[in-house]
Amino acid sequence: MPNILVCYKWVLDEQDIKVRPDDLSLDASRAKGKISDFDRNAIEAASLLVEAQGGNVDALAFGTQALKLSVKDVLSRGPNRLTWIGDASAEGADAFVVANVLAAAIRKAGPYDLILCGEGSSDMFFQQTPVRLAALLGLPCVTFVQKMTWADGVLTATRKLPDCTEEVRVAGPAVVSVLGEMNKPRIPSLKQVLGAAKKPSEELPLSSLGLAPGDLEPRAVRGTPKGFLMNRRNIVYKESDAAANVAQLVASLKAEGL
Amino acid sequence: MSIQLTEEQQLIGQSAREFAKEYLEPIVVDMDHTGAFPADAVKQLAAHDFLGLFLPGEYGGADAGFVSFVEVVETLSRTSAATASILVNHAMAAYAINRWGDPAQKRAFLPALASGETLGAFAVYEHGPTPGVGPDALMATRQPEGWVLKGTKAFVRNAGVAKVHVVVACVDPAAGAKGLAAFIVRAGVSGLAVGEPADTMGLKGCPVADLIFENVILQDADLLGRLSDGRSLVEETLAMASVAEAAQTVGIGQAAVEHAAAYAKTRVQFGRPIAALQAIQTLLAETATDCHLARLGLRVAAGLIESGEPFLVEAAMVKAFLARFGSRFLIDTVQVEGGFGYSEFMPLPRLFRDIAGTTLLEAPAQFPDGTIAAALLA
Repeated sequence: MPNILVCYKWVLDEQDIKVRPDDLSLDASRAKGKISDFDRNAIEAASLLVEAQGGNVDALAFGTQALKLSVKDVLSRGPNRLTWIGDASAEGADAFVVANVLAAAIRKAGPYDLILCGEGSSDMFFQQTPVRLAALLGLPCVTFVQKMTWADGVLTATRKLPDCTEEVRVAGPAVVSVLGEMNKPRIPSLKQVLGAAKKPSEELPLSSLGLAPGDLEPRAVRGTPKGFLMNRRNIVYKESDAAANVAQLVASLKAEGL
Repeated sequence: MSIQLTEEQQLIGQSAREFAKEYLEPIVVDMDHTGAFPADAVKQLAAHDFLGLFLPGEYGGADAGFVSFVEVVETLSRTSAATASILVNHAMAAYAINRWGDPAQKRAFLPALASGETLGAFAVYEHGPTPGVGPDALMATRQPEGWVLKGTKAFVRNAGVAKVHVVVACVDPAAGAKGLAAFIVRAGVSGLAVGEPADTMGLKGCPVADLIFENVILQDADLLGRLSDGRSLVEETLAMASVAEAAQTVGIGQAAVEHAAAYAKTRVQFGRPIAALQAIQTLLAETATDCHLARLGLRVAAGLIESGEPFLVEAAMVKAFLARFGSRFLIDTVQVEGGFGYSEFMPLPRLFRDIAGTTLLEAPAQFPDGTIAAALLA
């Protein structure tokens, strides 16, 4: 029976993010948090696996103190126990930092037979965390999984690649990233929501993980994203001669550098 | 009392949002066109514990409280007020049995109502102006073989699909509307028939029909509460329902204003989106404000129900407010959307019909202004 860890990220709900009309900057002041969409698929995959054949699911997350808002949410979706690291430095963390923190926490809390992640977070979508995590832990990594089974300590997974699917078998422990198409995450029942408060959760201080300052220095440079607004020119070519209209259109496109 | 939702209440609201997206969004337009009962969605309501939301855990309920209940009702109503209406009428029966039932009745009925094995209905209205008065009034007469019920209950929601009914009957013809008592009536009992389905203006998919009693024989064990409890049972259950229906009205209004706001941002007139016009902004802002304030009011009333405090006056205030302003949510948002909003391929006509139902149904036992004034002038 597998002992599974699911890693998740608490992100802003993109539906709540507004674009300020004056400078197209993003206004997230009223945005609520949510479990990153693909991580919900990972949670569901782990929950389905242990419901079918027994085992255990724990959850792990690194984020700011806002992560506290995710505790009951994630525990209502299947995991039995949560470990979370809340630190302000998570605000600017990239996949390098996140993987360092998660790997350090797993060394402390593990071992696990399977470590599941979503294929990427719904805010940054770096798609790097599972791969980096596996490298740091010295484990095999199976990415883009659309189907998986576990038997006798061996993971059998179907990977979806650009031009084919590939079936792989890996002896655990292993890190797995799952695709959004893998399953439909469950909607927690009210009893599961209310029962989440009774499940254990533990906050680990970042300082307790023994990481060097360099491990917490992001390598990626993040710009300031802006909203996209399509401004139509509303140019109409009204010549009776179609060829002349086309010629004008081509000239205009060339003038725009297209 | 806080009007901010707790973390659990917010998560329950989130579950209801996810539920509505998954199970109601795909069927809501067909439901409105065909009036078909959403049997699969109701099964899912049960599977997610919504049918036993406020019932005690010892009877299989989620024990999540009334504030959560109105949050769920509002959230479901944003997508399908008809499905919420099924839930509310079921909850009225469950509420009455939980509040006035003896231990044997609670053990007999509440677990099945909480699990969704049986759907409930609450039957109070008649074709006459008030229960217990008029030629079709449902009368319960004590005879040697038991209580004999004869007459008709009108506009019973969940009629035909409910397996357990809480039915209000007149046991004292001389007292008329003051001589009421409530009985628990199982579907299929001899002498009970369901009338033709009513073709209602809105809330299509929530079945409505008469319940016709032709010498239905019941026993004392079927009496809910004492004979003297009938009037307070009706008053309190209708007040609870008017809070729940206020939540439906707010949910419908919120859906309408969000749809109209999205429309206003994309509809271009005179070279700019109509959202830039102050007249449009005023219509949207007033509707959103009224929705928000009504939501606060109904949360306070729900909090009173949850904590076991008197709530009839606050429920009547919420009902009175939405009776005046609820329909305006739709009048104003249809104005924003103009000819498109008036068209059946847009959701506003359905919301318009639905809100007519939620502002009209389940009035307090007396007109809400009367309840409020009586409390002020006592």
